[in-house]
Amino acid sequence: MTRLSLAIPSKGRLKEKSEEWLASAGFPVTQIGGERGYQAEIAGLGDVEMRLLSAREIAQGLVDGSLHAGVTGEDLLHDLAPVGESDFEVVKRLGFGGADVIVAVPQAWVDVDTMSDLEAAGAAFRKAHHRRLRVATKYMRLTRRFFAARSVGEYRLVESAGATEAAPTTGSADVIVDITSTGATLKANGLKILTDGLILKSEAVFAISPGAAWSAEAKASLGVLFAGAAIKPKELIEKI
Amino acid sequence: MTYAAVVKAARSRFEASGAEPVNPAYILPSDIPLELSGEAVRARLCVFTDHRGNEMVMRPDLTLPVAGLEAERLASGTNGPKAYCYAAEAFRLPAADGDPMEFTQVGFERFGRESDPTEDAEAFALVHEAVRDCGVVPVAIATGDLAIFPAFIDALGLPRVTADLLKRAFRQEGGVRALVEASPAPIEADLVPTLEAATPEEAETAFRAALAERGIPLIGTRSVPEIIAGLRARAAALAAGGVPDKVREVIGALAAVNCTAAEAADQLDAIAVKYSLPRTSSAIDRVARRMELIRELLPEVKAICRFRSGFGRRFTYYDGFLFETLGANLAESRPIASGGRYDGLVSGLSNGKANATAIGGVVRPDRVLRAKGRGA
Repeated sequence: MTRLSLAIPSKGRLKEKSEEWLASAGFPVTQIGGERGYQAEIAGLGDVEMRLLSAREIAQGLVDGSLHAGVTGEDLLHDLAPVGESDFEVVKRLGFGGADVIVAVPQAWVDVDTMSDLEAAGAAFRKAHHRRLRVATKYMRLTRRFFAARSVGEYRLVESAGATEAAPTTGSADVIVDITSTGATLKANGLKILTDGLILKSEAVFAISPGAAWSAEAKASLGVLFAGAAIKPKELIEKI
Repeated sequence: MTYAAVVKAARSRFEASGAEPVNPAYILPSDIPLELSGEAVRARLCVFTDHRGNEMVMRPDLTLPVAGLEAERLASGTNGPKAYCYAAEAFRLPAADGDPMEFTQVGFERFGRESDPTEDAEAFALVHEAVRDCGVVPVAIATGDLAIFPAFIDALGLPRVTADLLKRAFRQEGGVRALVEASPAPIEADLVPTLEAATPEEAETAFRAALAERGIPLIGTRSVPEIIAGLRARAAALAAGGVPDKVREVIGALAAVNCTAAEAADQLDAIAVKYSLPRTSSAIDRVARRMELIRELLPEVKAICRFRSGFGRRFTYYDGFLFETLGANLAESRPIASGGRYDGLVSGLSNGKANATAIGGVVRPDRVLRAKGRGA
């Protein structure tokens, strides 16, 4: 990968806002094959491999070094990085796509408001049911790290494929770790956020991959992008 | 010595102790480590899904499947002490780059003997002799005793809920700090009738009424009596006024114990005396007696053997004496040998159907070679 390999989300508001941000920096993106295509071109950066991918694929690509740079959610970067923040480098927080990753439990659990209440409930649950309390989430690593740091061990993770907030109602899990912006969906599903259950305040970020193979050409394209987007480049480019 | 010679040297030592050589199942249902030890261990487990979608793991050590063998043996009605040994592969995801995903453990597990200082010292000596047979001289030995923290907490006379919370938190990465600093939240007014109800039925009625008033649906797999029990536990913690200063001080003093193994019992005893906790004496005596026996068996380890009160608190199923032997050329996180007591594991694996005291130890041949300055 000699050319700069750059990715933005392939659909929805994240895509529109990413395109707006790049266009305002002087690098308009045009899609090849119309609105439904997954290939694109970007002007003003020289020969660049421009890709439209899901936010999760972009985060994974940045972490494993198969992409040089891209726009994705902070939540996904933190969750997919095996080691942690050294696996990626957030260059700029973009001010859109904001949401919180939180721990929520049924509102009916009037005895559980904090993470340590949850730990106590989990231990009692294990005694009564001979299995651990289940926590449904798409954020397996983030959840494990947060729960460990808060000394909560009495739980089992259930990987959720979607509609995580419905898990307590359907009975597949009691606790969820999910993303929320207003909390309305949680409320509608009979759930409440624990008072110390904020794992991460996430937003869309422009991030680069320190582990990718960086050619002089890729660095040069990145330098042009930094200049257009008014990012102070020196320190960051030295890192890669 | 070659790799094979190191494996043979350690294995011969364990076989000579009368243990039966075994090679148990490579693959276990993921429930075994995860229900037993919690999600914290998942980060290191080689997990895969079988054709029906069941989550399975490659054995992360030999202790788990060997303890499984012993639980089966006991459940089939055979009693009496039993010892197993092995030289077999275990599988873990790397904690750091360069850690192998597949590695050999040469070890032994002994079940059903007296859980006492003599047995602790003998198991320790067996590992130490195996290390010596491999031709390597340890640079340090770290020891601890996971029964010490619970003994101090029990001696403090806290409400059961608080004591249990502290004991569990001690074994987690975050430790007990957040817990001892937290102040319990008050009980909301509409829930007071639930707590003051005369019978469990009335409490349940009051609780359901409070939920209905708030417009809250009853979802999740915790039952109403379980939630009410949680509410009562919280009220009890509130009545006790949170964690008293004395408890904070004792936990702080305990956390600071990091000394030669020979000094450990005296340091623990000084804390027990200062805070008037005589009920800790049997746990402390055991630390003292065990170290005396180890020094009689192996006079040469005195100079390199240390004791730390928090040592091994995150080693999931261990619950008593434990140790790690460190070699040259290797970080502290990569011991050449280790071992410890896990009296609760057989019961945990069999849902209480079987019960056996247990202690074991392993040598890591790959690291032994590194400590001797050879191999990668």
